[in-house]
Amino acid sequence: MSAKNLFLLIPLSFLFGCNPNKLPVYGNKTAITKNENGKETIDSIDYVLPNFAFVDQDSNLVNQETVASKIFISEFFFTSCPSICPKMQAQMLRVYENYRNNPDIQILAFTIDPERDTVAKLKAYEKKLEVESSKWHFLTGNKDSIYNLAESFLVSAAEDPDAPGGHVHSGNFILADKQRRIRGYYDGTKEESVQKLLDEIEILLKEK
Amino acid sequence: MKLNKLLRLLAPFAIIGIIIVFVLNFITHASIQHPGKSTYHSKCAQCHGDNGEGIKTLTPPLFKADLPIQQFDSLACWIKYGMNHPIKVNGIVYDQPMYPNELDEIQTANVINFMCQEFWEKDTCINSIWVKEKWKTCL
Repeated sequence: MSAKNLFLLIPLSFLFGCNPNKLPVYGNKTAITKNENGKETIDSIDYVLPNFAFVDQDSNLVNQETVASKIFISEFFFTSCPSICPKMQAQMLRVYENYRNNPDIQILAFTIDPERDTVAKLKAYEKKLEVESSKWHFLTGNKDSIYNLAESFLVSAAEDPDAPGGHVHSGNFILADKQRRIRGYYDGTKEESVQKLLDEIEILLKEK
Repeated sequence: MKLNKLLRLLAPFAIIGIIIVFVLNFITHASIQHPGKSTYHSKCAQCHGDNGEGIKTLTPPLFKADLPIQQFDSLACWIKYGMNHPIKVNGIVYDQPMYPNELDEIQTANVINFMCQEFWEKDTCINSIWVKEKWKTCL
């Protein structure tokens, strides 16, 4: 192949390459049979995060209604976490500062240590981070429900007496869209990964 | 007379040599980073910030932190064994556990000296012998 032909390939690869402005939808699609005008058709629906219900640092109930028609960023953490959590919160603060005045964005932080992380503990933690409770909910509740939710988010969270603080969890930030579909995973301990999150929130905000 | 002529001939080379030594000295000093810097960034910066600024009132700042002598003396122990009690820094109480780090006495001394230079405006504070002595007193 001549060099000239190679140059022709470059614009072609842009045409057929994946669209950089469209974020993927994570999770398995489910097949459903629809009955339209007496005709059976098979359709696939996207994976949607399940309903949930927890209380936040102000003892308010937070559930799927709280994030209805909102883009939300979730994380799993615990207040006494000595390892990756402070770094995660420093990075989540960047998201918070960027969107604190945007009513379409919510931040949900689920504690994976609900026995120790009471409402009062979460309130104290919120005060330490100097953030507003209406924008950044720190959530506690039934332990199994939280661990099940982590599974639905397709991230790991588990108790481990050998780990610092007694728990292991992923440092992921999970981006979900207004239909509660997972649209991105980011390493909450890495600045450049969180920059990607900020960029992709912008893409999601423009999505119709 | 002959020696004088030889010295005159060699003088420019001597001057050039001295200049080269100065320049090399400057370059190497500028490019070699502090031995504690990489340790700081891999072990400490995630909670205390790249510039020692801390995270709000969650984790304390190191930059211009007022470290009373007792706290300074505990540094080696905190780095090795972690720390789990409230601490007052620049008038604010911080209460977030610190995790232990696997560093030997030389790495620990380097990282403390790095902080001395970067955050506390001291050239060199301590050495590895000091670290070993302090480790004997850890509770």
